[in-house]
Amino acid sequence: MAREECKALLDALNKATACYHHLVLTVGSSADSQNLREELQKTRQKAQELAVAARAQLTAALRDRGLGAEERAEFERLWVAFSGCLDLLEADMRRALALGTAFPLHAPRRPLVHTGVTGGAAGIAARALSVRSLRHEAERDFDVNDLRELEREVLQVGEMIHDMEMKVNVPRWTVQARQAAGAELLSGAGASSVGGVSTEGRRRPCDLSKALAAAVFSAVLLVAVALAVCVAKLS
Amino acid sequence: MAAGPAPPGGCPSAQRPHLSKMERVVVSMQDPDQGVKMRSQRLLITVIPHAVAGEGPRRLGWGASGPALAYPHPSLCCAGSDIVEWLIQKYCISEEEALHLGTLLVRHGYLYPLRDPLSLLLQPDDTPYRFQTPYFWTSTQWPAAELDYAIYLAKKNIRKQGALVDHEKEHYNQLHRKISHTWDLVVMQAREQLRAAKQRRKGDRLVIACQEQTFWLVHRPPPGVPSVLEQGPERGSCTARRVQMTKNMDFYRREIEYCRKALGRTRVKSSVCLEAYLKFSSQHGPHDPIMSGCLPSNPWIADSDTYWVVNAPSVAAPTKLRVDRWGFSFRELLEDPVGRAHFMEFLRKEFSAENLSFWEACEELRHGGQAQVPALVDAVYEQFLAPGAARWVNIDSHTMERTLEGLRRPHRYVLDDAQLHIYMLMKKDSYPRFLKSDMYRGLLAEAVVPPETKWRVFPFMRKPRRSSPSPALLASMEPAAAAGGPRGGDGEA
Repeated sequence: MAREECKALLDALNKATACYHHLVLTVGSSADSQNLREELQKTRQKAQELAVAARAQLTAALRDRGLGAEERAEFERLWVAFSGCLDLLEADMRRALALGTAFPLHAPRRPLVHTGVTGGAAGIAARALSVRSLRHEAERDFDVNDLRELEREVLQVGEMIHDMEMKVNVPRWTVQARQAAGAELLSGAGASSVGGVSTEGRRRPCDLSKALAAAVFSAVLLVAVALAVCVAKLS
Repeated sequence: MAAGPAPPGGCPSAQRPHLSKMERVVVSMQDPDQGVKMRSQRLLITVIPHAVAGEGPRRLGWGASGPALAYPHPSLCCAGSDIVEWLIQKYCISEEEALHLGTLLVRHGYLYPLRDPLSLLLQPDDTPYRFQTPYFWTSTQWPAAELDYAIYLAKKNIRKQGALVDHEKEHYNQLHRKISHTWDLVVMQAREQLRAAKQRRKGDRLVIACQEQTFWLVHRPPPGVPSVLEQGPERGSCTARRVQMTKNMDFYRREIEYCRKALGRTRVKSSVCLEAYLKFSSQHGPHDPIMSGCLPSNPWIADSDTYWVVNAPSVAAPTKLRVDRWGFSFRELLEDPVGRAHFMEFLRKEFSAENLSFWEACEELRHGGQAQVPALVDAVYEQFLAPGAARWVNIDSHTMERTLEGLRRPHRYVLDDAQLHIYMLMKKDSYPRFLKSDMYRGLLAEAVVPPETKWRVFPFMRKPRRSSPSPALLASMEPAAAAGGPRGGDGEA
C-alpha cells in the first residue's frame, strides 16, 4: 500500500539524515579525513535519492482529490515529518559545505581542531546505506571536487523544498502528531522501527540485578534443600 | 540542524566581531608547533550498579579510582594552566588578563572542562579542558533552532530515562506545546541519532555527547547563568559591513569613498570636549536632585509631593535654582514655560516680541499635525513674512529668498532656515540684554528658596505610607473624607 511505502521511505530518510548529522559533527575536527568526506558524500547521495522517491509518492498521494479525510490526515502527518527531515538535511549540507571549505584537508595552513574524537565513522555510513560495510575508494583530491558537487546538491535540495512548498499546501498547524510528549521513553511502540535504544540501555543494569537476585535465590534454595536432606537423614 | 529564521540585522558576524576573534585564537591554539601543549587523558568509565532493579546510573570518572569496569581510551585535552601560559606567551599579557580571556573562551563554548561540565570557568591548574568541534562553534552563528533543542532534549530523555533537570523539563514541555505538529519527527530523529551514535567507539560517543551538552549550555543556559549570546538592540547599518574576501575594484572604490567622507567630518579636540564636559558638570551639579539633594524634600523618601508642586511647569513663583538655570543658556530659557513667558514680556517692552512669536509658530509647524501644515504655512507667511505684514520679522535677504522658494511647495521643515536665523538673532542680541535687565534681576531676587523640611526627632517613626486611593473610590468617599482630617499633612512626630 502507498501509505506503508511512504512510511518505509520516510524511516529510511530519517535514518540517513541522522547518520549524516553524526558525520557532519566531526568535520574539521581531528577525526576529519578523506574517508570521512567520502562517507559524507555517499550518505548524502543516498539521502537525496530517498528524498526524491518519498517526495514523488507523497506529492502524488496528497494531490489525489479522492482521498478520504482520515487517509489525508495521515499523509499530511507524513508530509510534515518529511519536510522537517528535508530541512534538517539541507541545513546539515550547508554546514558541511561551510566547514569543508574552512577546513581543507590538504592545505596545512589551517590545522584540524583537536577535539579528542579519533575513531572512524565507517559504521555510521554503513548504517545509513543499509550495507554491512563500506569500501573507501577515493582519489587524492577528492575533497576539493566533492565540495563543488556539494554546493550544487545544496542548491538542488533547496529547489526541491521550494517546489514542495509550492505544489502541496499543507498547513502545519492543523497536523496532529501521533507521538505525545515523552513518547521516546516508550520502547519500540510508535511510528519508527522496533528495538528502541531505551530497552538496550536499560537491559544491562536490569540483567545484572536480575542475575544477582537469581544467584541469591538459587543459593538459598540449595541451602534449604541441604538442610531438609540433613533433617531427613538425622530423623 | 534545522534552518531557523535568518539572523536579524545585516551582517551578524560583523556585529559580533569578538566571536570571530575567539575563533582565530582557538585555531592558532591548534598549531602543532606553536599551539597549546596537549596531553592525553585516560578516560575511565565506571559503572556503579544500583541495588534497586531497573535503574542504573552511569558515572564518568576522568582518571578516578574505584572502577568496576575500566575502559582506557586516550583522548587529547589540555590543562588549564597550559592554556593560561600559552595565552600569556602569545599575546604578551598579564596573568589576570590571560585568565579572563580563557574564561571568555570557555563561556562561549570553544573549550569545555571535562570534570565539571556545568561550571564554565577556566581554572589555572590541572583541570583538563577540551576543544569544541567546529560544527558547534558560536562564531558561525548558525541558529540553534527549537527543533534541534527538542531533539537534544528527547535524546537526553531517552538516555536518562526521564530524569531531566527541572529547567530542561520545563523547556521540554514548552517545546512540546509549541511544535507539537513535528513531534513525530522529533521522536524519530532522537531515536535514530542515538542509534547512529552507537556505531562509534564508546570514548568517541562520550566526547560527542559532551560537545553537544556544552553547545546547549551556551545557547540555552540554565537559570541563573547569564547568556553570553545576548545582544543589545539592533544597531543601524553603520557598524555592519560585510567582510569581503575578494577585493575587487568596487570594494576599493567604496573604501576610498568611505575614507574621503571620514576625512571631511568635523572633529573636536578631546581637550575641548572634556573642558565642555567639566563646565557642564560643575554648572549643573548644584541643580541635580541626586547629586545635591532636593529642597524641600525628596518626595520618594519623605512621602510628600511638595517638590513637584513647587517645580510644576507653570507656577507663579519659580524657585531660585530654576531662575538660575535660565542664565546658563538660551535653550534652557526657552524650554521652561515660565522662563519663556517672562522673556516674551521683556521682548514686548523692547518691541521685538514678533521674533519669539515667529519662532513659536515655526515650532508648532514642525511638530504639529500633517494635515494642518499647508494652512499653518500660509498663516505664518501672512502674519510674519509677507512684505507689509502686521508683525514683520527681520530676516536677511538671502534667507528670505530661499524661504520664499521653498514656500511654493510647503512642508513642515520649509521655515527651518528662517527660524534658525531668528533664533540666533534672539540668542545673540536679546538674550544677553535680558540677563542684564532689571526684570531678570528682580526675578532672581523674588525667587523662592523652599525651606528644607525638618527631620523628625525620631526618624524611625515615619508616617505609614498610604497608597493614594483610586479616583473611583475618591469620588464615593468625598463626603466622608471632608469630615475627616487632612490627608497628607505632616502630623505626629
